[in-house]
Amino acid sequence: MSTPRKIVLALTVNGQDHDLLVEPRRTLLEVLREELGLTGAKEGCGTGGCGTCTVLIDGRPARACLTLAADVQGASVLTIEGLADALDGDLHPIQRAFVDAHGIQCGFCTPGMILTAKALLDENPSPDEAEIRQALSGQVCRCTGYAKIVDSVQLAARRLAGEEETP
Amino acid sequence: MSVYVGKSVPRRDTRLKATGEARYTADLALPFMLHAAVLRSPYPHARLLRVDTSRAEALPGVRAVITARDASGVKWGVFRYTRDQEFLARDRVRYIGEEIAAVAADTEEIAQEAVALIAVEYERLPAVFDPLDAIADGAPRIHDHAERNINIHVPIHVGDVDAAWDACDHVHTEMTRSEEESYFMTEPYAVLAHCDRQGTVEVWMPNASPHTKAKGLANALELPVSKVHVRHVAIGGAFGGRSDMFPGEYITALLSRKTRRPVRLVYTREENSIAVRQGHSMVVESRFGFKKDGTLHAVDVTCHMDGGAYSSTGPIATSVPFLCFEQTYRVANVRYNGYRVYTNKPIRGMIRTHGRAWACNVDMQLDLAAEALGLDPIEIRLKNALKTGDHTPTQSHIPSMASHETIRAVAEASRFREKWKRLPPWHGIGIGCVSVMSGFPMGIRGGSAAMVKFDEDGGVHLISGVVDNGQGNEGVVLQIAAEALGVPIDQIQLTASATEITPIDQGAYSQATTLVSGNAVRLACEDARRQLFEVAADVLEASAEDLELADGKVFVKGSPARAVPLAKVVRSGLLKGKSVIGHGSFGPNVDQRREWIQNPKGQLSAAFSYGSAVVEVRVDPETGFVDVLDVWASHDCGKAINPKEVEGQMDGGVAMGGHGGILLEALRWHEGANLNTNFLDYKIPLAPDMPPIHNFIVEADDPVGPFGAKEGGLSISMCTAQAYANAIAHAIGTHIREFPHTPDRVLDTIEAREGTEDEAS
Repeated sequence: MSTPRKIVLALTVNGQDHDLLVEPRRTLLEVLREELGLTGAKEGCGTGGCGTCTVLIDGRPARACLTLAADVQGASVLTIEGLADALDGDLHPIQRAFVDAHGIQCGFCTPGMILTAKALLDENPSPDEAEIRQALSGQVCRCTGYAKIVDSVQLAARRLAGEEETP
Repeated sequence: MSVYVGKSVPRRDTRLKATGEARYTADLALPFMLHAAVLRSPYPHARLLRVDTSRAEALPGVRAVITARDASGVKWGVFRYTRDQEFLARDRVRYIGEEIAAVAADTEEIAQEAVALIAVEYERLPAVFDPLDAIADGAPRIHDHAERNINIHVPIHVGDVDAAWDACDHVHTEMTRSEEESYFMTEPYAVLAHCDRQGTVEVWMPNASPHTKAKGLANALELPVSKVHVRHVAIGGAFGGRSDMFPGEYITALLSRKTRRPVRLVYTREENSIAVRQGHSMVVESRFGFKKDGTLHAVDVTCHMDGGAYSSTGPIATSVPFLCFEQTYRVANVRYNGYRVYTNKPIRGMIRTHGRAWACNVDMQLDLAAEALGLDPIEIRLKNALKTGDHTPTQSHIPSMASHETIRAVAEASRFREKWKRLPPWHGIGIGCVSVMSGFPMGIRGGSAAMVKFDEDGGVHLISGVVDNGQGNEGVVLQIAAEALGVPIDQIQLTASATEITPIDQGAYSQATTLVSGNAVRLACEDARRQLFEVAADVLEASAEDLELADGKVFVKGSPARAVPLAKVVRSGLLKGKSVIGHGSFGPNVDQRREWIQNPKGQLSAAFSYGSAVVEVRVDPETGFVDVLDVWASHDCGKAINPKEVEGQMDGGVAMGGHGGILLEALRWHEGANLNTNFLDYKIPLAPDMPPIHNFIVEADDPVGPFGAKEGGLSISMCTAQAYANAIAHAIGTHIREFPHTPDRVLDTIEAREGTEDEAS
């Protein structure tokens, strides 16, 4: 097998700038998991069906498994590892809400679920239940029946709006 | 008054899962690691005439290629009498996807390319894909030992069924069929294995029982169990689909042994769908006889299950749908003939709602009998539901069962009786009930043990073989330990799964963890308390019997000021050469003589849960689409150790058993090839699909369960399926006999009913 020529990929991931040498066929998910060791984004199917690889590219949720790394040259990528406060290690309010409202069981869908919820709440800070369910409709969860995931997003929205204190 | 048990505390593992810190098998990498890929059969049934690996071996970057020639030849099956599967096919393949060879290489791409270079010469054999075709005369034989391709026959007969029909006022026969379901746990199967030069093998993989995996792998690798270390790892769901041994772990370990390097195998979604486990399809014929007052008097059920190419958990899988029925309703005369049949399809295991055609057939019979006898669906269930103190037909005593309470809880909350008589056209309401066992006899691996030890600063280490597939088993034993010790949960560290450290544990199947592992943990903590009190008695100049431990302090009962912190007790012990280590060992009170085929009678389980669900639907007669308006679910799980987590199990059960199981989920086939192996083609419920779920936890205090706890969640998955089916039948005026009830089947059934009515008028 001949080795394809590599390209230089400039990416900002979780606030850190990287210049990476990657093969042009690599997906963003491969670059994150294998080059940068960021395994929070999961490969549940590799064909865009499950949403477990979801990351935010310039603030918008995207399937990292369907995104060619070369296509996001210069972009800013947020993965689940970049969401918690890097300095004091505290969970982001959305992560904390998923823990407190029992929105996590096996946890395999959780990183994609939380990042999708972040994109929703950034755009619409007080979504109703139907809007939450619609926003999460590309994220598969096999454990929870989504009930406590919806609760978690609602709790996060209330806490971010200052309507409810975090204990 | 419990302090930690019964509280909805957030689970500790979820902090790791929320941040991406939790490591699943495919996230792990070891230095010098190789990547594996598997060559699978493209044919459903064929003889292997020649397997030539020379071109693959010559490819640069390939470090090892293995076939059956490298394998021990040890066959896998859960029971001694069901060992029918070699982990690398030797001379014959029996389903599309069966493992023939595997490669370890420097990269995944090279491994895949090498697999493509392996040349196999096949002689195709006739194949069979349906259990009823497979038992017919002249069907191709899949295993030499199995006449008519019957893998397992479970015969049960209690009372005298043939004589009982005459005493019945209503007798009715039904036939239902269901297609296969798929687990679709979000994590695809993966294995990381490392064989070192000491001859030990360490393995990481999603699993439902680390100790069972260690034993099975030790057998296949012909090693002592002590040389196989199954490690702790985060697991992305199981639902019954991670329960026994798979070729993946054997192949990966063998490649590592051959290369002396760590090897990682990560399944694609398609491989996860076809080469781990699938649900059984079933054909169920039932005959139910009732007396005028609604008493269920005689039942005769014959079920044919499509088991696929190998046995797996066969005898258990063949029995469980019957057991769930006989634990739910009282019946004096009952006969069951369960047949698990070999076909040229992937291997089947038990899945969350194992046997929707079976379970829903029962509730269909109850509703039809109620109608014929002028009763309502609630009345007929209350009349026949087993209760605390009853015995099942196969002689299990039921120590606790709040059946009536769960039925009433959902009937009242949903206003069932009112709606049953008066709903708008195309609306329907239905109820389902089921009881699930909290563990069953598993021989020498049916119990659990735990240890608890202490640091000099008062920290506590709990060591237990429990495994958490996502359902929260680690949280359950932590809460039980905190309660039994009197120490805050945050002060307790848990070492779970790791087989070289933890004592034996039965694993997370048969819903046994809370009751069996939980009791072992409770006993270990009680033992540690006794030892701590002996040490503290000297320090406090009090009698050990007068001591209490709460909030991390030992004190004299009634005089909380006379207290010493746990750390001081531990250090006082150490000064005297006494390191406190608590031990607990628990085996459930089950009849070890009970055997699935030869002797299906005696105490099956230490405890039985109960679940009842009511579902309200609206059916669109133009499209056949079912709109689910509300679900009410009520669960006797004994004491809920963590109520919000129990609710989470109930919600998940409604989604997988009810919504997915009855409306959406079925595998599609062409000549033994599974056509819908990914999330886009196999429909599972998504967030906007799910109806509002109203949960009711009914806590019958179980005498055996730790703090009264038993199985949590599975009964809701099953009874919700039954309620979905009955609600749809109520809406369209007739039952649908095929599962799932997809829109085309709903429409066909409506049309057939209208056709019958036209003829009648």
